[in-house]
Amino acid sequence: MAKETLGEFEHHVLLATRRLGNGAYSAAIVEELEDVTGREVAPAAVYIALRRLEEGGLAHSQLRPPPEGGRARRYFEPTSQGLELMRESRRRFEALWDGLTAGGGKG
Amino acid sequence: MTRPPSWLRRLVAGRIPRADREWVLRDLDDLYARRVARHGPRAANRWYVRQVGSFWARVQAHHVRSAGRALSDPRLFAEMLSMDHLLMDLRYALRRLGGTPGFTLVAILSLALGIGANTAMFSVVNTVLLKEQPFADRDRLVEVYTSEADGFAHSTSSVPDYLNLREEVDAFDAVVATRTFLARYDRGERPELAFGELVSWDYFQELGIPMTLGRSFRPDEDATPGVGQVAILGYKTWVNDFGSDPGVVGGTVTLNGYPFTVIGVAGEAFNGTIPVLSTGFFAPLTMTNELMGGLGTNQYDRRGSRSLFVKARLSEGVTVEQANQALAAFSRGLEERWPETNELRYMSALPVSEVSLHPFVDRILVPVAGLLLVVVGIVLLIACANLASFLLARAEDRQKEIALRLALGSGRGRLVRQLLVETVLLASLGGVAGLLLARWTLDLLLSFQPPLPVPVSFVVELDGSVLAFTAAVSIVAGVLFGLAPALQATRPDLAPTLKDAGRRPGRAGRYSLRNSLVVTQVAFSFLLLIGAGLFIRSLQKAQAIDPGFDTSPAAMVWPLPELAGYESSEEVVAYFRTVRDRLLADPQIDAVAMASRLPLGSEIQTNGYEIPGNPSDTPDGDWDLDDTTVMPGYFETMGVEILQGRSFRDEDLDGERVVVVSQAFVDRFYRGEDVLGRTISYPGSSDPFRIVGVARDTKVRSLGEAPRPFIYHTPWPGFIPGMQVVVRGSLPGAGLLALTRGIMDEVDPDMVMFSAKTMNEHLALMLFPPRMAAFFLGVFGGLALLLSGIGIYGVVSHAVARRTHEMGIRLSLGATARDVVVMSVGGGMRLVAVGAVIGVVLAGTVTWLISGYLYGISSTDVVTFLAIPVLLTGVALVAAFVPARRASRVDPVRALRSD
Repeated sequence: MAKETLGEFEHHVLLATRRLGNGAYSAAIVEELEDVTGREVAPAAVYIALRRLEEGGLAHSQLRPPPEGGRARRYFEPTSQGLELMRESRRRFEALWDGLTAGGGKG
Repeated sequence: MTRPPSWLRRLVAGRIPRADREWVLRDLDDLYARRVARHGPRAANRWYVRQVGSFWARVQAHHVRSAGRALSDPRLFAEMLSMDHLLMDLRYALRRLGGTPGFTLVAILSLALGIGANTAMFSVVNTVLLKEQPFADRDRLVEVYTSEADGFAHSTSSVPDYLNLREEVDAFDAVVATRTFLARYDRGERPELAFGELVSWDYFQELGIPMTLGRSFRPDEDATPGVGQVAILGYKTWVNDFGSDPGVVGGTVTLNGYPFTVIGVAGEAFNGTIPVLSTGFFAPLTMTNELMGGLGTNQYDRRGSRSLFVKARLSEGVTVEQANQALAAFSRGLEERWPETNELRYMSALPVSEVSLHPFVDRILVPVAGLLLVVVGIVLLIACANLASFLLARAEDRQKEIALRLALGSGRGRLVRQLLVETVLLASLGGVAGLLLARWTLDLLLSFQPPLPVPVSFVVELDGSVLAFTAAVSIVAGVLFGLAPALQATRPDLAPTLKDAGRRPGRAGRYSLRNSLVVTQVAFSFLLLIGAGLFIRSLQKAQAIDPGFDTSPAAMVWPLPELAGYESSEEVVAYFRTVRDRLLADPQIDAVAMASRLPLGSEIQTNGYEIPGNPSDTPDGDWDLDDTTVMPGYFETMGVEILQGRSFRDEDLDGERVVVVSQAFVDRFYRGEDVLGRTISYPGSSDPFRIVGVARDTKVRSLGEAPRPFIYHTPWPGFIPGMQVVVRGSLPGAGLLALTRGIMDEVDPDMVMFSAKTMNEHLALMLFPPRMAAFFLGVFGGLALLLSGIGIYGVVSHAVARRTHEMGIRLSLGATARDVVVMSVGGGMRLVAVGAVIGVVLAGTVTWLISGYLYGISSTDVVTFLAIPVLLTGVALVAAFVPARRASRVDPVRALRSD
């Protein structure tokens, strides 16, 4: 695996995918990100991020019919590599946050 | 469910790779529907419009970011040039090439064949025609020729004319001369024949020829005939015969029985004046009679004896035109002073840069060399087409891998470089293999030495410029055919490639590029094969030509008594009598013939004749006719039929001078008349020859010639010229030759033999050009056929591999194996058909160029033009059938699953 760190947005997308579990198709991811962050998220950005994640082996996808029926959707989930990288990113952030006050200064 | 306006949808769709289009649009539709529900359709539409812009910008950015570090990006070159990964790339390339040994082997072999053939042929042409002699100040050097009386402009000059030229013409700073000689070289047990040059004393100095050892000649050594017994060794003679011994200077070599003091060794770069012939010895021109003479003939100071090649250096400021004007005036002066030898003999000059061997020889050789280079060039083209085709196919197969690596952040430059490294490695391996093959081909070429009766070696070497040429061809081929697929393969259009490259047919453009490569190959193969076919048919015709004499086994030996120390005619006559008697005494020998000249030999001998009642158009009314001098028994031994009158008898040697003439002589001069008893004579001679017989025509100079008037003499009483001995017997050719040589060695162990050969070897001389042409075009045509076959095989098998899925569908829908085979073969054969039509048209247009080299068939020989298409179609069918058959064995279930 060539990539050692995740871009912030890719990290967000991967987290959203994880949060959505079995239901992580791109529209759901967009809404999840918008709901959690409160900001408008561009579906194109999510699409590109998903593509990059998949090409990079951090996520994989599958076309399957949704539970409510109808035409197939592409569902994404992190690969074990992706999960490993997410944990690694989190560990790094926490290490950096460690010992800092919420305000940002050293406590 | 509410959907966004379809025109907006289409705008987004255009930016999304096809494989993703459906699900992305569907998810967008969902988001849109929820916006409509939450914020109303107008807000949702505005949102959707924003998404259109967003997709356009982001997908574009993605392309640029992940793959579009386009060629203009300086980083591309930085990456390509960085050495960090070169070793890694090399290792990777080796591993990849090793992983597909079949592909690698075929690609290397294709290139090796093309490069090998080119290098060998280029070496020969380079040595013979292109390589410049190491002469100083070449720009001002000219070759000076004397014309023949019949107008042939570029003939040799005589020593007296040359000496006058040195003295009297001031358009030149220097005038030097050389002539070749063959002399007996006494070294070891048996005398050998040595090839050398007699040169003016200043030849080495004026031409700036370097010396390896010692010095060149001094004026005093070339001042008085017969005095300057000094010699310069040729570099190869020094190396081969004297073991590069530096102590050779001051020693002695014995040529024609005269001791010559060695004063120097010529420089390595100078092989001799004639590029392909290696000169063993150089001696002063004044030694001409000692080294060329025999039986008291004078070839040195007779003005009519012309054997010199003259070179001159233009004086400062003198142009070639001015020199030619000076030469013309000088020649007219000679003509006035010595009309009997110099009438109609004019000197002229040509810059050395315009002459390779000799203007006349160049006119014959240059087109032949050009033809050969074109032929090997076509072979290389076909080989490169194969390589290109393979690389394209490979690039196509690797697209998924490449796209993946691009996506993972590999720089495009890195990838391009990696592909290039692989290709250049391939080309280099092909080049090395080609060089080995060239060495081998060259040995083969040189083993085809023309069976000339001249004991000289052809020197052709693979030299530096040839190596450079090969390297250039390999690298250019590699870069050219590696770069295109490399650039194509790393094009940034990634997503569809990643998803489903395996199942879609290749891009039409690339397919048609490969197809046109095959069409080109087939067309050029056709051209070469038709050329080969024409020459093979021509050879058949030539071999079928009846030369007019018995070609069954015989031994032919040519002794040179004048070089073996025989000083008088009596000694020579006695020698030949003894040879004849001793040969005939052997029970295994049936007949012996002797002749000064044999039919279809390399030597040409003519004399002027007066034919009463038949003056020629020339001012003197003489005829220049081919003739020979033969001993009694010649016609019987050679199997030349006597049609009228009689052949020679022993009493003809001493009595009235009689001749036998050929049927063509009768047809030409006395058609329908009785010729027996008529007389002809040498011009101005009061000693006529009476015609006693008419012999059937034989081919005299060449197999292709029309019947030629020919005159057979008996020797002058008491004088026998150099005679070639023909022996017939109950042994096969080689055994008979050994027996004959053995007996002749007993007669005189010190005799110098000019040549000793069998009848077959003798005939080979005349069949040499058509045989060579048939052999080489046959080999190269075969090579082209093989390479094209491989190309067709490659295209069909690749097409089949890519269409496995489709085949599976067809088979499961009820197509038979046969249908599938027909479909696949048909695809390949369509290309062959197009190539064939182009090839035939091409061949029909250009084969007239070789019509001058063909015996007995036209350059649009119907047999050839029918046979070759059948042959090529057959090979193409096999090449297409093999992979097609594999397709028909596809298991439909597995094919449908194949990715």
